Amino acid sequence: MISQCHILESVCRDLFTSVWEVKHPSKTGQAESAESAVQHSLYLGLSTQHCITASSPFSTQQTNSSNKRSKWETSVVEHKNHARELVRKADLSQWDALVIMSGDGLLFEVINGLMEREDWKQAIQTPLGILPGGSGNALSASIHHYSQSLPAWNEELLLSCGFIICKGLVGPLDLVSVHLASTQRLFSFLSLAWGFVADVDIESEKYRHVGAIRFLMGTLVRLASLRVYQGRLAYLPVKEAPKPPKGSINHPPSTTQHPSHCLSLPCRLIPNSSPKLGSRPVRTNLNQNTVSNSSNNVITNMRPEPKKDRKATALVDSLLPALDQPVPESWTVVKEEDFVLVLAIYQSHLAEDLWTVPEATADDGLIHLFYVTAGISRPALLRLFLAMEKGAHLACGCPHLVYEKVRALRLEPISPQGMITVDGEVVEYGPVQAQIHPGLARLICG
Amino acid sequence: MGTTASQLGKADLSEYQELTFLTKQEILLAHKRFTELLPKEEKNSTNARVPMTKILTLPELKSNPFKERICLVFSTTNPNDGSFSFDDFLDFLSAFSDSATLEIKSHYAFRIFDFDNDGTLSCGDLEKLVDCLTYESEDSRLTTEEMRQLITNILEESDIDKDGTVNLSEFQHVISRSPDFVSSFKIVL
Repeated sequence: MISQCHILESVCRDLFTSVWEVKHPSKTGQAESAESAVQHSLYLGLSTQHCITASSPFSTQQTNSSNKRSKWETSVVEHKNHARELVRKADLSQWDALVIMSGDGLLFEVINGLMEREDWKQAIQTPLGILPGGSGNALSASIHHYSQSLPAWNEELLLSCGFIICKGLVGPLDLVSVHLASTQRLFSFLSLAWGFVADVDIESEKYRHVGAIRFLMGTLVRLASLRVYQGRLAYLPVKEAPKPPKGSINHPPSTTQHPSHCLSLPCRLIPNSSPKLGSRPVRTNLNQNTVSNSSNNVITNMRPEPKKDRKATALVDSLLPALDQPVPESWTVVKEEDFVLVLAIYQSHLAEDLWTVPEATADDGLIHLFYVTAGISRPALLRLFLAMEKGAHLACGCPHLVYEKVRALRLEPISPQGMITVDGEVVEYGPVQAQIHPGLARLICG
Repeated sequence: MGTTASQLGKADLSEYQELTFLTKQEILLAHKRFTELLPKEEKNSTNARVPMTKILTLPELKSNPFKERICLVFSTTNPNDGSFSFDDFLDFLSAFSDSATLEIKSHYAFRIFDFDNDGTLSCGDLEKLVDCLTYESEDSRLTTEEMRQLITNILEESDIDKDGTVNLSEFQHVISRSPDFVSSFKIVL
């Protein structure tokens, strides 16, 4: 294991050295010191075992007179939840970033480890980087896509992501908080899935070619016995609000905190009532609007707190009532109750070759909700997945596929057996709800 | 046994319960549905068989792309004409029931996909399998290139002994990685 580590280390070193030199061929002097910074900033691991590395100050950003000796540390993660433990207890003050080389599963652990800390608010601001190293490289593929590069796989994708990390530009990353029936709360950065997609074997990531690649024996068999899952789905849609009159409404992120004002209409910003929203805690506002609609009675737990309120120590999910309470009136409840799949995704790619949301970004503050209702034929479903490689599935015109942009959702499975995955990890099966927290974390992206 | 008297005897019922994964209610329902498929004059006869054409009219099978294969696999006629006796019907329902094990289901799935009945899944079988799943119209079929690539991938994934085909154990091994296979491979009346 150690020797493998060294091999990979030197491979990465070469990788990043050459990347740096390609970019800055003339600045050899600077390149050297920067190069050592870069060399030492990411080190990695094993494909069979996941690795996480803490990376050091990106002195590439500064002119390197001080030639700060960059520190780095590699931790090899050996088992499930190891990363979570490490991150929960680590002294984050000495690190500028956390880079993960592995699949999305490891990042999932890291994010949840960070959020479990007392100082989660600062901890989650640690810039996170990811290199495609395992199965499940959806985030890497998404980041690569956001950098407006042509699609890439395998080594090309690794190179591209490595390069992005070298550049070290940090942007906001939306996180979605997911509530499970056992009152457990998880944080997710990629997806929540139920039904056919949740069943798709992550192992199939290894078999990458352009073409009908996602279909291996397991998928064919699942397609053969195409299952219908019963359940209830509801969501809080995003309506494209007209540009607000200046000064009357808070900056857009606070739309997540406005309670619904409408009984039967989907949630919409109502410019007239907004002057109050900006100035006072929204709690007051809730009472003032009670007169106009009785729906607020249903929303007993919905006490949206403006971002300025720092009294709460835990992150509040202002859009979500308790799981055993009905969804707010502003939510849309899906009529159909027979699904083939339900997928909530907040990055552009579900896998390296599944370009699910062509126009998504890491910080668009949206959950992209897809669902496929029962009745779709097997060829049609297959066609959708084939088209998804090029992001063309929405253009298929499949009447069973529905796409909505939402801020929160709830799924209550009725079928007794099935699987729900969050970021590709199987979670407890049962009712689940989620809401987005725009820009809660930070991501190293192009 | 081989009973298709319009009432199912108690002794037979318990015997069926023991020999299959079906519950009492499921067996009684199966008997009812089976008898409905019989022409009037045969409703009380023992050992009656329902021809394949009638089995295929069952709503639970009608839209299943493998309905013919299912009939051929579970039928115990020789030469095989796909017809079902009540026992065959129960065997079929048992394999597809909620309580059947992964081994039973994967065993039957394998037999269903083995179109040429030679005991192994060859390229030809896999092609037919994919065609069943993709053929709706001319343009929904995979191209020759896509098909070739797909089959190559499947063999790469499943063919452990590299003999160019997928045998039962290799198939079962692959299927065991699908956690939801057992609950998906289900037909319930």
